[in-house]
Amino acid sequence: MTARVTTFTETMLGRVRLADEDRDRPMRLDLVVRTESVLLPHRTTRARVTGRVRIAGRADDAEAVGELEISPLARRRIRYRISFTLDGRRLALDGWKSLTPARPVASMTVLPVTLYEDGEPVGEGRLRFPLTTGLAPFLASFRFPRATEGTGDLAPRWNGEPGRTEVWYTTLTDPATGTGIWLHHEVVAPTDGSRAYAHGWVARFPKDGPVEHARFGPVPWTGQGAGYTTDGILAQPGLLTGSAGPFAWELTETPQAPPLHTFPRWSWRRPLLPASQMLPAARCVYNGTLRHSEWGELRLEQAVGASARIYGHGNARRWAWLHADLGGGDVLEIVAAVSVRPGLNRLPPLVFLRLLHNGRTWPRRSERAAVGWAGLGRFRAELGLPEWRVTGRVGRRRVRVAVTQPPERTLALDYTDPDGSGAVCRNSETADAVVTLEKWRGRWRQEAEWRLSGTAHAEVGTR
Amino acid sequence: MNPTVAAVAAALIAEDGTAPWAGRLRGLLDSLPAPARAGIRGAAHAIDVCAVARTGKRLGALDNAQRERLMAQLGASKALLPLLEAVKVPVLLAAGTERALHRPALPRRPAPDDPLLDLTPSRDWPSRSTADAVVIGSGAGGAIAARTLARAGLSVVVLEEGEHHSTASFGQRAPLDRFTDLYRDGGATIALGSPPLVLPVGRAVGGTTVVNSGTCYRTPDHVVARWRTRYGFAATEGFADALDEVERTLRVARQPTDVLGTNGHLALAGAAKLGWQAAPLRRNAPGCRGSCQCVVGCPSGAKQSVQLSVLPAACASGARIVTGARVRRVLTDPDRPGGPRAAGVVASRPDGSELEILSPVVVVAAGALQTPQLLRRSGLGGHPMLGRNLSVHPALSVAGRFGDPVADGRAVLQSVGVEELHSEGILIEATAAPPGMTSFVLPGVGRTLRRELESADHLATLGAMIADEPSGRVLGREHTLLRYDLSRRDASRLLRAQLAMGELLFAAGAEEVLTGVPHAPRARTPRELRELLRKVRARHLHVSAFHPTGTAAAGSAPESAPTDPAGHLRGIQGVLIADGSVLPSCPEVNPQVSIMAAALAITERWVARR
Repeated sequence: MTARVTTFTETMLGRVRLADEDRDRPMRLDLVVRTESVLLPHRTTRARVTGRVRIAGRADDAEAVGELEISPLARRRIRYRISFTLDGRRLALDGWKSLTPARPVASMTVLPVTLYEDGEPVGEGRLRFPLTTGLAPFLASFRFPRATEGTGDLAPRWNGEPGRTEVWYTTLTDPATGTGIWLHHEVVAPTDGSRAYAHGWVARFPKDGPVEHARFGPVPWTGQGAGYTTDGILAQPGLLTGSAGPFAWELTETPQAPPLHTFPRWSWRRPLLPASQMLPAARCVYNGTLRHSEWGELRLEQAVGASARIYGHGNARRWAWLHADLGGGDVLEIVAAVSVRPGLNRLPPLVFLRLLHNGRTWPRRSERAAVGWAGLGRFRAELGLPEWRVTGRVGRRRVRVAVTQPPERTLALDYTDPDGSGAVCRNSETADAVVTLEKWRGRWRQEAEWRLSGTAHAEVGTR
Repeated sequence: MNPTVAAVAAALIAEDGTAPWAGRLRGLLDSLPAPARAGIRGAAHAIDVCAVARTGKRLGALDNAQRERLMAQLGASKALLPLLEAVKVPVLLAAGTERALHRPALPRRPAPDDPLLDLTPSRDWPSRSTADAVVIGSGAGGAIAARTLARAGLSVVVLEEGEHHSTASFGQRAPLDRFTDLYRDGGATIALGSPPLVLPVGRAVGGTTVVNSGTCYRTPDHVVARWRTRYGFAATEGFADALDEVERTLRVARQPTDVLGTNGHLALAGAAKLGWQAAPLRRNAPGCRGSCQCVVGCPSGAKQSVQLSVLPAACASGARIVTGARVRRVLTDPDRPGGPRAAGVVASRPDGSELEILSPVVVVAAGALQTPQLLRRSGLGGHPMLGRNLSVHPALSVAGRFGDPVADGRAVLQSVGVEELHSEGILIEATAAPPGMTSFVLPGVGRTLRRELESADHLATLGAMIADEPSGRVLGREHTLLRYDLSRRDASRLLRAQLAMGELLFAAGAEEVLTGVPHAPRARTPRELRELLRKVRARHLHVSAFHPTGTAAAGSAPESAPTDPAGHLRGIQGVLIADGSVLPSCPEVNPQVSIMAAALAITERWVARR
């Protein structure tokens, strides 16, 4: 049986007194918890925490991270350690519920915490899990996904069959210069049974300047290691290095979010669809350098982006892709594609849309967006250039996405399928996008809107 | 105060009950544990019932002559003596310390500033915090453990149940008020047995070292050798170095004779006449001014209690002290790889709320009486020998009346050691505590007792403590509950000590010797004393006890020693025992230096192996 993990969300409310103040302030924690193994109450389970920390008037950090030690029976303790930002200072919250059978409810719900800055206490508070309003959402949030997701998803999938394509690609935006970077690593196993080869490219999308790129390979593929590995070029968990033409790069990758399956999760485990795409981590942070023999070095610090994986029979007939980091831990991933297979190629584009918002993924199942109810209610895409659009509705929510890929910031590259046929991809790592999320409350009311200017990652492919 | 108790107290020392000490007596009784308070009240009521039976009136309704006559009758009855004694002890303590207030005051000097301590009251300490090491107790063992760990670079938190008392505060308050603050259970911790023992222990930042007499004996070599070879207490290897370090820290030196006091000089004179080995004691009080108030906190700051000598160094290295925090439990993580492990402590504040400190190392130094109870509360009391093997130094006092005043100025409370009988397990120490504050109880009731009290400044007092067999047990989990059965050998040692002290006093020129035994109170010659003591049994004695040790003894035999040779509690990782309870057997001398050296050795070994 595949090992599983546990995820759940938890909200806690209370008051905190900061050392530099003489009054309490309301405080709220909204946490998304992901354990390292299935949560068993009689054991000690460690978990990663992401979420939002709010102290009224002082702090609102939606990118708080930390860890949990969950041991309600063995150690009778549930410990929270979360770091967050307050007024530009980095604070650490440390506290634990101390469980006692004498006061089961109080001890399970009350969390005394101490806030530290550089190891010195700077505040003390008391949070409480709101049983009346919080218990039902808390219990309903429990999920037990498979544990192999994550870094294991970077391992090569290709098993020697001819006619397959496997891709590792990374896109990121340097927050300092606005430069977009695209690293593409690809393995192609031709349909004619000839030897699989690995190749790829690196591309730089300056905020204003012309796009540059350089290809590497092809070289024979050996298929060893924890990710893409050829001579001098690596795309492994936590590390991206290599050189191509005038470019050389060395980047570390730190996952900041759980995996995101753009296509149905089962299609990644069982390759029944023509192809499947997924993100081992919906959001990553990159540090390191990109060097060029002419213009020197671009030093990246806390660059935001993601790596993605594709495994399938080849490229689609037509497709569009968007990866948009919406800030605050929210991510939008879209693949809209028309298959090359006879029959399927007559269908309109199938839209796989995943919106990671407030720690939850919408729509809950990606099939819902792609095919709806036998076609009814499916999401729709209008593919084109320089602008393409996606709209869709699930339940009381609807989304509208408009992506613009200005020609001067777009790079056109030729793709080759395993059967030797070609496709043209037009990619921009400095695209613009407008994402509108609305909710029906008697009428459509805007729930959120994101406008990305030069930070969206998008491409459109045609034949 | 209960009117019956007030009437009996007034009758006992022939006063009208309006003296200011009556208020102090009420405060003292309030600070006693409930069973002791109930016992005293019961005894007072029983005396009142006797009064009704004999006179038809309650004590409070009798006039002075009737009351005096009645008290004389009651005092003559052997059966009623225990009742009278039960009330007499707190009354003497209250009245005796009151008299001490009216002694000719020594020239007052401003109290010196104490070295800085990093103190935080528990109400100001966060409910959740972490540390590299938590030390439970700030007494002799806890202080030196905290210093060792802090100097090794660990963040150390010392939890102390008592409060901090500065040297200046000692000078500003009456001795009895300090007494009730500084001692656990108002100084009336009682070990059940025959005879029952009163076992006072301190409770303050500095622990019992705040209220001990400052006597600093090195652990005798034969005791160290016994601990190492017979019990396998490996931490005592190189113990001499640890003892040297402790003596240096405490600035131990032989007490100069300038402020020794008449009591000490008489003891030296008596010993010289008998040809006995005696000398001023080695003490940790350089520049002692002879305030004679060691047992209620040195008001001149001369006595180097650990809150003046060790804890400041610990705080300078980063240790922090939380006062008013009584540790409820040691937290444990039972599912750690390699077995259960200490995870921290839960402590309660005076208002009943709790604070928790997570720490991978917990040093238990709560004292030999509290450590077993704390471990039991924490679920760590599974070892069958935990709480057993309790050694105390059973002690008694004898007073001699001299023609000239003895309490006539400066004096060291415990000044001279007579080691002639040390090889027999008897250590005699000249101890000049104020009346009521020693184990010596003045004889008589009514006017007799009052006369004794008024002429108490003519009394020289000697105390003797016995190196005992470990015959006690700490019971229970919460309140101090002790059982101590004096062994036959130790009973005969006590009687031998009593006679020896009487002989010493006569040799020093005493006119009469007060034995402290209610039915055989005084003797005028050595021969009379010997005759008198022939009818005294150990159960008649008013025995105090000091220096509890051995209740979580270290040793190499897992079945008999709850603590391993390196001072780690067996059955769990990360718990060090660093107080008197870790000593395998009676140290045979005042144990402060022994406890500190053991704690130093244990924590230094732990730091070295970390």
